[in-house]
Amino acid sequence: MEIIQVVGIGLLSTILILVLKEQKPLFAFLLATATGILIFLFLIGKIGMILNTLERVAESSGMEMIYLKTVFKIIGISYIAEFGAQVVRDAGQDSIASKIELAGKVLIMVLAVPIISIIIETVMKLLPA
Amino acid sequence: MTWLGGWLKEIILVVLLASFVEMLLPSKSMERYARLVLSLLVLLTMLSPIVSLLKGDAISELSLAMDQQSSQGGLLSSGGQGAGTLQQILADGQKLAQGQQKHTLEIAANEIAGQMKDQIIRETGGNGVQVTVALAMKKPESPGTEAQPAITSVTVQLPEPQATADRSDDSEPIVISPVKKIEINIATTEEVTAKGAAIESDDYVSETDQAQAKAILKLLETRWGLEAEVIKVRSSKGDAAKL
Repeated sequence: MEIIQVVGIGLLSTILILVLKEQKPLFAFLLATATGILIFLFLIGKIGMILNTLERVAESSGMEMIYLKTVFKIIGISYIAEFGAQVVRDAGQDSIASKIELAGKVLIMVLAVPIISIIIETVMKLLPA
Repeated sequence: MTWLGGWLKEIILVVLLASFVEMLLPSKSMERYARLVLSLLVLLTMLSPIVSLLKGDAISELSLAMDQQSSQGGLLSSGGQGAGTLQQILADGQKLAQGQQKHTLEIAANEIAGQMKDQIIRETGGNGVQVTVALAMKKPESPGTEAQPAITSVTVQLPEPQATADRSDDSEPIVISPVKKIEINIATTEEVTAKGAAIESDDYVSETDQAQAKAILKLLETRWGLEAEVIKVRSSKGDAAKL
């Protein structure tokens, strides 16, 4: 029952943060960040398991690895960007958080550039000159 | 018809993967962007027969572009520097060509292995033999000529006799040992027998196996003009017993 552990850690740290916030706001923020990282690390193993399964299935069925790599990159970018943005948002820096999210979105779009260029070149070749 | 099956399988897999990944995404804000890239991937998979018809190898081109992107990326790396230098372009071209050559060699090796198997079954009656062929580009003898493909190793796996198969039903499964590459010019390895050919014989190999192995060796030597050291005949019984 890992979900109970996660919720337990979350509740515990919330109570501690509420207590700490009055005395030392800085430590409250650090505790929030540490809790976030802890839960993230806890989940990373599970995400890895899912990705390994996907990779195995794709390998056994002869799918092109480049597709899988692209998809994994999307997942990685969005998780990391989301996590970073939330930590920064917790610290009260909403503007920086939205910049991090913007960076994540742009980087995901950059992944699309080679695919788009191949598709467009093909379509242009299909069209009569 | 095979390519149609493969194409459909690939489309189904990519669509499944995309829908699964969409669920994995952490937040709504990223979803639109991720969905765009995923739908482009699906589109590329659907178009892949046309792309390969018009542009050649689209997959290796895509992976090359991705590699370039990842090598250029980062705030701290010197972005853009050397990205378009002649050397890098030449290296990329060589990489593409090598990939295609490898693919061609694999297909040719499979074809040769199939032909050898047919011949062995026809001439020696060794039903159930498995033939593995490794091809490589041979370095040209004189500097002016181009590299030629050559057979670097042939491994013939003899079938397991019926009696042992029955006996070893409850024991460990039959293990086919990996193909070892043998260089043509090495003639003094332990595996090489007095004749120069490598029959991996140990105490477990029966006499009939030995005779069959010799027949196969002779057949391959005469028909394909191979050097004896290149050919390797293994008995699956001996290998299984060793493990």
